[in-house]
Amino acid sequence: MTAPLDVSGTELEAEPEAVLGGSQAKAIQGRSLGQIAWMRLKRDKVALAGGGVVIFLILVAVFAPLIVGWLGHPPNDFNQDLISSETLAPKDGTGIGWDHLFGVEPVNGRDIFSRIVYGARISLLIAFLATLLSVAIGTMLGVMAGYFGGWVDSVISKTMDVFLAFPLLVFAIALAGIVPDSAFGLSGDALRVSLLVFIIGFFNWPYIGRIMRGQTLSLREREFVDAARSLGARGPYIIFREMLPNLVAPILVYSTLLIPTNILFEAALSFLGVGVRPPTPTWGGMLSDAVRFYTIPHFMFFPGMAIFITVLAFNLLGDGLRDALDPRAR
Amino acid sequence: MMRKTTLGVTALGAVLALGLSACGGGGSATPSQSGAAPAGGDTAKAEFNAALTQVFNPSDKKGGILKFANAGDWDSLDPADTYYGYSWNFVRLYGRALVMFKPAPGKESSQLVPDLAENLGTPSDDAKTWTYKLRAGVKFEDGTPITSKDVKYGVLRSLDKEVFPDGYTYFNDTLDLPKDYKGPYKSKGVNTDKAIETPDDQTIVFHLKQAYSGFDYFAQLPATIPVPEAKDTGAKYREHVISSGPYKFDKNEIGKGFNLVRNDQWDQATDPNRKALPDGYEVSTNVNADDIDNRLLSGDLHVDIAGTGAQPATLGRVLTDPALKANTDNPTITRLWYTSINGNVKPLDNIDCRKAVEYAADKVAYQTAYGGEFSGGQIATSLLPPGIPGHADINPYPSGTDNHGDIAKAKEALTACGQPNGFETNIAYRAERPKEKATAEALQQSLSKVGIKLTLKPFPQADYYALYAGKPGYAKDNKLGLATNGWGADWPDGYGFLQQMVDSRVIRDSGGSSNISVRDPEVDKLIDQASLETDTAKREPIWAQIDQKVMDDAFILPGLWAKSLLIRGKGVTNVYFSDATGMYDYLNMGLQ
Amino acid sequence: MVTYIIRRLIWGVFMLAIVSVITFAIFFLVPRLAGATSESLATRYVGRTASAEQVKIAAEKLGFNDPLIVQYGRFAKGIVAGADYDYGPGVERCPAPCFGYSFLTRLPVWPDLLNRLPVTISLALGAAVIWLVAGVATGVVSALRRGSFFDRAAMSIALAGVSLPIFFTGIVSLVVFSYGRPLAFAAPGGSFTPFFDNPAMWAYSLILPWITLAFLYAAGYARLTRSGMLETMNEDYIRTARAKGLTERVVVFKHGLRGALTPILTIFGLDLGLLMGGAVLTESTFSLPGIGKYAIDAITNQDLPKVMGVTLVAAFFVVMANLVVDLLYAVVDPRVRLT
Repeated sequence: MTAPLDVSGTELEAEPEAVLGGSQAKAIQGRSLGQIAWMRLKRDKVALAGGGVVIFLILVAVFAPLIVGWLGHPPNDFNQDLISSETLAPKDGTGIGWDHLFGVEPVNGRDIFSRIVYGARISLLIAFLATLLSVAIGTMLGVMAGYFGGWVDSVISKTMDVFLAFPLLVFAIALAGIVPDSAFGLSGDALRVSLLVFIIGFFNWPYIGRIMRGQTLSLREREFVDAARSLGARGPYIIFREMLPNLVAPILVYSTLLIPTNILFEAALSFLGVGVRPPTPTWGGMLSDAVRFYTIPHFMFFPGMAIFITVLAFNLLGDGLRDALDPRAR
Repeated sequence: MMRKTTLGVTALGAVLALGLSACGGGGSATPSQSGAAPAGGDTAKAEFNAALTQVFNPSDKKGGILKFANAGDWDSLDPADTYYGYSWNFVRLYGRALVMFKPAPGKESSQLVPDLAENLGTPSDDAKTWTYKLRAGVKFEDGTPITSKDVKYGVLRSLDKEVFPDGYTYFNDTLDLPKDYKGPYKSKGVNTDKAIETPDDQTIVFHLKQAYSGFDYFAQLPATIPVPEAKDTGAKYREHVISSGPYKFDKNEIGKGFNLVRNDQWDQATDPNRKALPDGYEVSTNVNADDIDNRLLSGDLHVDIAGTGAQPATLGRVLTDPALKANTDNPTITRLWYTSINGNVKPLDNIDCRKAVEYAADKVAYQTAYGGEFSGGQIATSLLPPGIPGHADINPYPSGTDNHGDIAKAKEALTACGQPNGFETNIAYRAERPKEKATAEALQQSLSKVGIKLTLKPFPQADYYALYAGKPGYAKDNKLGLATNGWGADWPDGYGFLQQMVDSRVIRDSGGSSNISVRDPEVDKLIDQASLETDTAKREPIWAQIDQKVMDDAFILPGLWAKSLLIRGKGVTNVYFSDATGMYDYLNMGLQ
Repeated sequence: MVTYIIRRLIWGVFMLAIVSVITFAIFFLVPRLAGATSESLATRYVGRTASAEQVKIAAEKLGFNDPLIVQYGRFAKGIVAGADYDYGPGVERCPAPCFGYSFLTRLPVWPDLLNRLPVTISLALGAAVIWLVAGVATGVVSALRRGSFFDRAAMSIALAGVSLPIFFTGIVSLVVFSYGRPLAFAAPGGSFTPFFDNPAMWAYSLILPWITLAFLYAAGYARLTRSGMLETMNEDYIRTARAKGLTERVVVFKHGLRGALTPILTIFGLDLGLLMGGAVLTESTFSLPGIGKYAIDAITNQDLPKVMGVTLVAAFFVVMANLVVDLLYAVVDPRVRLT
């Protein structure tokens, strides 16, 4: 395999050179990295706004029951009296008002506001856990491939190639569709969430894996690693004590950038009907219901905007983090 | 015995509801508003339900191309291999069976009239032998005269279920065939005169294993459409069916669409039923369902062939605009949307617990879930739809004054069952069907009011009956207490409607039957009694009796007698609803 | 070079074999593990009221009674050597590559796939042209006018672009610009006219999917080009070029852009490869009868030969795209040697 293949779709900047041209002096030293990064981040108002929205969304997800108890209706309760039994639409068009902030769904009159709030839980939970999984697998295998080289690198790299050749969505749909209702001692939402985390996380690791492999390759040649090796340090020590601390920054950046991708992935699966089971609200699931009622626009608008704002916020934050941690890309 | 319902024209989830692929048919995709004649109301006054019991816009004007669109696709265009309702309706344009349903509006359409045959069948030997005489002078599209041997060959090839897996088995089950007969391909040269005789070119005689008084219904099945043996290409015949009707295939791209053009070998003199008005038909398949509605309303398209009615997004538009509403019909069709209550799953083995479900269900929510008063259906109080002979108005479990469920009665039943605080069970539904999902959610809501806690279990449509809800072992082990279901009759008749739905002997351990909950030996006995009864007047009350019995057992929660909101295409003549097909009759439509 | 290509091709075939084995395992083995019998599997592919006997016949015909390894072998053999198919009155030769016959329609899968391919290729190529032109142009201008209003506006729009799910933008664009709305300028979902039938209608039927899809990608490419440009413009050789007295235009387009485009080329190749194998969400949203829609429909109907076929075709495109990208890379970037 040649070097260029190590460039993948998610690593946007700097990578090819790191692989191709060997080392490039880092402008920042590891010790002060955190402080300097934080200083830079503080100056990046857009990224801070993104971070603010992210924190807000996390709070919304965590305190969903409280918020809904205060401002809305239970997310699965029908409000049939608000719905026309002929056109299935809310009788006044949307149902928007103080009682239902975002209006109600057609057919059954469920409160859209509280379904959006509860939807944040599923969306964020799955995206976080799936990201954790792919980062864990990707970092482990990527670092191994980069550090050991030789046949280890060869096997891991080829495995990544095979993974990247699969039509992911097709597989995700197939797998999510055929897994039974209770398995591995889990059932209901817990099982579906675990399953989706597995599918999304498991299929995404090669992207992280390639980045980590590239980073390790360039780190391996650095003086401090040589020094450690000449002092008699062994592989595991070097990997955990010398390499990993230096990989924290890229891991953090790419995790933040992977979360929005995973949010979109989860939404797509829910949209295609293989996500978390109804009636548990998900944004993708709400959108797929809304498509059938495209003549009732507010139904489509709120879940669509919820996905958009969340993904955008994570992207802004991720961009800011990258700029802060990697001064070459501004 | 039921045509596969094509309502779930979906692929996964809602994307599918949005619709499918298509060859938009070249120019037809342009948003032209000029396709239709200026005024649809010149010859007939457009009114809501105007085509329900009479012919709307009657005319004998010839010419024009009728444009049909299908949100899904045919199971097969081959007469031996098709089991979709709209396909049986449409096949008559390119094929002539021995008998057909009368091309007439409303109830009259349930009568059978001879088509390729001169008369209806003549029974002899106590209705074990049925004889038909063919009309003289009928030819295939290549000019070859049609003989009784072609009809016989058509029926025989349809028996090969390896090559034609989609079709029905009426003939396999009833004809007195040689043992292990597998159709003309595999059992080449086997003498089948014992089952079907052709004493001369115009006569065909069917011999049955058992007496059956309703054989004319079988003789209207597409399998009796003649097929010339020399031109039979087996599984590939669907690509070019040799026409015996007024239209023949011109271009056929399976998955996209096809064209029919006039068959110049068809002779009006041999055919009292068909008017053959348009010069041809243009059919697109796999078209986006919402798009079909919009094009129907704009006049760019004439018929939505699936005949299942307007999409939910269209409802608001059509029903709130009197001018648009005047161009729609809202028939009740002979289909029941229901929920099976599985007596194998505890505590539903107790009849009182099942009754609690019957009482607690919110029927109005059920109705909205399926599309509301117009597009969903009429709230059902028992199994047999009003259009089926033998229907009696019964309501064993009144669901409160406003049909939102009778909480008090349900609680009483729960107490009688020994579960005063309710119980937990699951409800299965087909994941790709948004209406079934909505139904499951609605039942979950309404049953929770009496403490019955439902968990939703979606399953892939393709395996719903084969592997999950319809497989007794799976359903029991996984406690699928309830399962959404639906059933329609092949033709308006008690046997066709009830047998597959309530006969416990159709349930197989390997799964796959539509009946997934009714297990009552007495019901089975009644079915046998009815099918042996040749006197209609005595037979029909037995259907009502079965209906009552199943309701008393509370194995089925009836939801709705289905209705559909059909949109009449602009400028189309001779539009009428046919009870027999449950949709508009496609035989004699024309253009202004 | 030639040995390199041959080696890569062999590896590619091997990869396709792995993909097919895994696909086969997911769709044929997993249901068995879950307890499905030959007969219960066959029930999917017969009419709903089929008799037990009918089901048995179907199971036999579809080969479910053979061990799985034999079933897989039959599939693999069909692709390499073709297969015979009994269609009733006779036996038909299905030439290699024979992807088998649909379990539902009993029609061969391969012609079906070939039939769908033009849709997906039209969609992918059309969108690719738009996003490449729009994305790279925006990126270059943004980089050259870093910090300007244009830069900030373009990058904000780009960020919004990558943050929108395509099934949302797709539906919104359909609702706004199609379905007979006043603003309608595009075909409604589900219409496709082949290019050679009528190029104008072809473009008309694809314009919305193109724009929607291209918006998503253009955003990413703009960001990529911008940061690539910023980086290369700081390189020594650019300074050298300037010092030589070359005009700014030559510096930017001949030297700067070339350096920035190399990583974009890689990603472009891979993106295109993935899209050729079926833009599942776009095709579903716009009901385009392409490979991706075919895949979804095949999975819904559990039409396994179709699933196998479509997966292999998709994987084939990814493998080929990888190869082509690597070869091009060697051409564009003299530092890369193929070994």
